[in-house]
Amino acid sequence: MAHAETAHAPPVEVEEATTTGINHRKLLMWVFLGSDCLFFGSLIATYMVYRGQSIVGPYPADIVDVPITTISTFVLLMSSFSMVMAVAAARSGNQKRLIQWLLVTIVMGCGFIGFQVYEFNAFRVEGLRYETNLFSSSFYTLTGFHGAHVTLGIFWLICITIIAARNPAGRPSGLDVDIAGLYWHFVDIVWIVIFTLLYLIGGFDAGPDAGHAAVQGWNWVTGLVS
Amino acid sequence: MSSNPGQEGAVAHHEHESREHASHEDAGIGRFFFGHVPEGVHGGLKQYGLLAIFLAIITFVEFVIILPEDLRGSSIVIAPLVILSVIKFFCVVAFFMHLKFEHGLLWQIFVAGLVLGLIVAIALVLLFGVFRPTPRAFSEGRQQPFVHHVEEAPHYEPLVVPTPAPLGAIAPAPAAGAAAGASPGQQIFMGAGGCSACHAIEGLAVGALGPDLTHIATVAESRVPGQSAEDYIRESIVEPDAYTVTAADEGIDQDFQQGLMVATTSSLGLTDEDVDELVEYLMTLR
Ligand code: HEC
Repeated sequence: MAHAETAHAPPVEVEEATTTGINHRKLLMWVFLGSDCLFFGSLIATYMVYRGQSIVGPYPADIVDVPITTISTFVLLMSSFSMVMAVAAARSGNQKRLIQWLLVTIVMGCGFIGFQVYEFNAFRVEGLRYETNLFSSSFYTLTGFHGAHVTLGIFWLICITIIAARNPAGRPSGLDVDIAGLYWHFVDIVWIVIFTLLYLIGGFDAGPDAGHAAVQGWNWVTGLVS
Repeated sequence: MSSNPGQEGAVAHHEHESREHASHEDAGIGRFFFGHVPEGVHGGLKQYGLLAIFLAIITFVEFVIILPEDLRGSSIVIAPLVILSVIKFFCVVAFFMHLKFEHGLLWQIFVAGLVLGLIVAIALVLLFGVFRPTPRAFSEGRQQPFVHHVEEAPHYEPLVVPTPAPLGAIAPAPAAGAAAGASPGQQIFMGAGGCSACHAIEGLAVGALGPDLTHIATVAESRVPGQSAEDYIRESIVEPDAYTVTAADEGIDQDFQQGLMVATTSSLGLTDEDVDELVEYLMTLR
């Protein structure tokens, strides 16, 4: 274990024997992510069910800002990249790089949350409160829960960064960072789905008087079925 | 066999490695992005950077796709958007989350959750979105204009739940709500009898479960043909189900609930004198 003391040696990882051959912490994280799919699946479905059913404004077309959200989506996507670089740095035992990439990831995560705070506030100013209509309730619930996930991830990364800064030798291990990274990427892929459905596709839905194809919600599916 | 867990771990690790190695061989896009992946590190700045640029380009393309305004919401636009985001989704899962290079079980667990989530989502949309026609038309019929009720908070009348206490113990004290010097009948009505919880009397009680008794003495004359007002009121108290007030009697939407009143008064144990007092009091409400 002598090499563990030298500054740039990879942190020692004790692989525990498990029946599956998979590290149990990693397994736990994947099980959690699998179940979180269900959580977001039902919230997204709820939004889609109520899509185009609001009878009082503001409607998505009136207030959703797709260009701005494209930028925040891009920021979150790039934070996944820096996260993956942090994991690579941790795996090769480069503590300095690890901290740098973690900080970049944290900053981008905060940037994304900043966009969301700005967006929620802009909506509120336009008169879209949580209880205003079906759109607002389902929208705030879904994106709010996603934002909460991102916020939790930011706290997690901050903790890891602090640990890394205080223990130059060894901790956090590659696995520690890896698992936090899994969570971070998951939050990213959930946003990929939300961005497509709520913004790119649903962001232009108008009110009942618009006569626009999109506002008819799922009626076109009914048309196919019957 | 458990005497040497370290060796077991090493074996498991070795298996893991060879599995990883095998999956590199057929890594497809993986090889395209990562070339040969060094052990333990699935790609470096270059490979991950390429993937990130690829994802950024997809996002940009998605944005361009929605620019033509008259195509928005049509399937010509929706289909490529869905396909592109599915590609993005699985790129992140496979490479950033390096699921591609992991033990197959992890993949199965995640996909199981994903598929379950999808099934739930599809079921929800079918149940509430597709096979229930036009919820918007449904809710439009019941639309209420949106009003801010922050300033004028709704004023709820307190609903007094009658206390089934033995009457003798309470009756002598002037009951809450009854004015000082009120008749004994009124005191029982407002207090121990619990009547005011269900019945309204103008200026006195606000209960809403039973009929308004403000003019009961007058009303009682014509409720049951051939029965005097006094008899009717007495009967209403000791045997409420003998005649149940209907919606038509009161000009309201719904009949009163039979059995509701008897349940309360019979448990109170009103004495004959109490009933006399009540009847005497109610007979003054013309
Ligand atoms: C749990 C609620 C409840 C309580 C407590 C209650 N009542 Fe009633 N009362 C009703 C309902 C409901 C009706 C109408 C149904 C019926 O006629 O049985 C009614 C009917 C009456 C009627 C006939 C009204 C009419 O318009 O024909 C009288 C009189 C009456 N109650 C007196 C009393 C008195 C006196 C008390 C107190 C000892 C009392 N009630 C307590 C629910 C209640």
